[in-house]
Amino acid sequence: MSAPGRSASSRLARKRLAGRGALLATLMLLVAVASAFPLLWMVLSSLKTPAETMQVPPVWIPRTPTLEAYEKVSGVINVGRSMWNSLVIATITTAGILVTSMMAGYAFAKHHFPGRSLLFSVLIATMFLPPIVTLIPLYRLVGSIGLNASLAGIIVPNLANAFGIFLMRQFIAGVPDDLIDAARMDGASELLILFKIVAPSVAPAIAALALFAFVYHWNSYLWPLTVLQGNAHEYPIVISLSRLLSYNRGALNTGLVMAGATLAVLPPLVLFVLLQRFFVDSIVGSAVKG
Amino acid sequence: MIKTYRASAGIMLAPAVTLIGVFILLPMLLTIWLSFQDWSTQTPFSNASFIGFDNFREIFGPTSVGRDFKRALLNTAIYTALSVMLILPLSVVFGLMVHQRDVAGGTALRTVLFSTYMVPMIAVTLVWSKLYSPSEGPLNQVLGLAGIGPQLWLSSPRSALISIVVLNVWQQIGYFTVLAVAGLTQIPGSLYEAATLDGANRREQFRFITLPLLSRTLLFSAVIAIINAVQVFEPVALITQGGPVGSTNVLTYHIRRVGIERAQGGLGSAMAVMLMLALIVIVCALFAFANRKDDE
Repeated sequence: MSAPGRSASSRLARKRLAGRGALLATLMLLVAVASAFPLLWMVLSSLKTPAETMQVPPVWIPRTPTLEAYEKVSGVINVGRSMWNSLVIATITTAGILVTSMMAGYAFAKHHFPGRSLLFSVLIATMFLPPIVTLIPLYRLVGSIGLNASLAGIIVPNLANAFGIFLMRQFIAGVPDDLIDAARMDGASELLILFKIVAPSVAPAIAALALFAFVYHWNSYLWPLTVLQGNAHEYPIVISLSRLLSYNRGALNTGLVMAGATLAVLPPLVLFVLLQRFFVDSIVGSAVKG
Repeated sequence: MIKTYRASAGIMLAPAVTLIGVFILLPMLLTIWLSFQDWSTQTPFSNASFIGFDNFREIFGPTSVGRDFKRALLNTAIYTALSVMLILPLSVVFGLMVHQRDVAGGTALRTVLFSTYMVPMIAVTLVWSKLYSPSEGPLNQVLGLAGIGPQLWLSSPRSALISIVVLNVWQQIGYFTVLAVAGLTQIPGSLYEAATLDGANRREQFRFITLPLLSRTLLFSAVIAIINAVQVFEPVALITQGGPVGSTNVLTYHIRRVGIERAQGGLGSAMAVMLMLALIVIVCALFAFANRKDDE
């Protein structure tokens, strides 16, 4: 490859490549900064004194970081109770979704029954239905079974969803039939096969679904707001936070608002940092295999 | 034996099918039924009385109900179009940055981009309401450094809707970048090697290999971006309340206000039916367009 006549031009090519690399690296850095800036600024502002948040030109980094704003948040909303409500909602909903999705996903992947593909299509179609389309009758329906203004009213309608069924079917389809047939020969019940044999072999997908469901329902806003009808005692943290914005309008409440936002962001973000591999794999799985 | 498997399939399906049937499919059918009824959300379904197409006539009529709905429909269409137009190209550009191996840091960039997708919309709303603050917000400060005068962002009817699009794109772009990367990984490297041997430069490779082979991914991304875009709610409910002068009144906010807060269940349901129809038409058109392209 290093014929003497070509060395000059290849040096030039390498130089051009290095220039392109530097440009690309700069662009990537810019994108990363733009993406990370709002959250960094949120955390920094939550540690400022009220005077610092008002200053023009702005103080970017607090000189004497203080947790004052976090104390003030606890004065405006019941942080402990709201966090607990969010935890209850997200955990129970996630557990329900895991069970219903694994069962239905197993049936769609490994059982043959008439109307299977039709039923699957109907269920999957609900994945593309924006929640607002069903909100009005659902609100009335949940009220008529006596579940409104309660955590149960938030949780029960969300215990199964099409995305979970879809994801589980995709991954369970890859489990070898021989494994399942052998267990059937041994007389194991279908539920036992699902939880003892199928589940362990799709553990990463289950982890991904659990994380997705937890974060989604920790963050969800429209349905809890609608069904709780102003019952502040049962508010999840994301709804309690909305009260911070109206408290002290203007720049005065910036630290307060940022402290509250930081509190709400922490649980899903920590989960993400710990387990991001599963998140990414399952998105790729749902898109590529679909 | 076949019979027992069928029975067990029924047991396996029962929980999910019952829940989705009762809490998604039944309400969807009720929405369609209610759109032809005069019904207050505060009363039982049995109080509804059939009024034919009156609700639809009203939401497209000349009264304030019609004006507000048509404005919300238009705002949502603009919002959705802007979102898709920003998300698709950005996801490909960021996807290429994450996917390439010339410069290190692709995976780190993916982590940073995707982390915003975990942030609850309410926190995004709180943070951006301060970032956009015309007087002491950092965005105007940064623009000031570049010699650009202060912008009104969410406070002006001309820029409020696009300001909300921007904060939504910021939050969601990581998800679409991951989708784009998934699509890029599927393209065989041998295609690029062959193209290089044939003397195709990078731009030509992008135009004739990357984009065509990414079209299925982009179609999927477009559908998801559209479905996400019509759901925008928190920034509107919290910061703008549909204003200034109706410029951010989008359908999810408007339908909830009419159907739940004002308890006009029939009217709200008719609006929800129109949204559903619009989505079906757009998604079918997208697929038809994509299939025709495939045939070419």
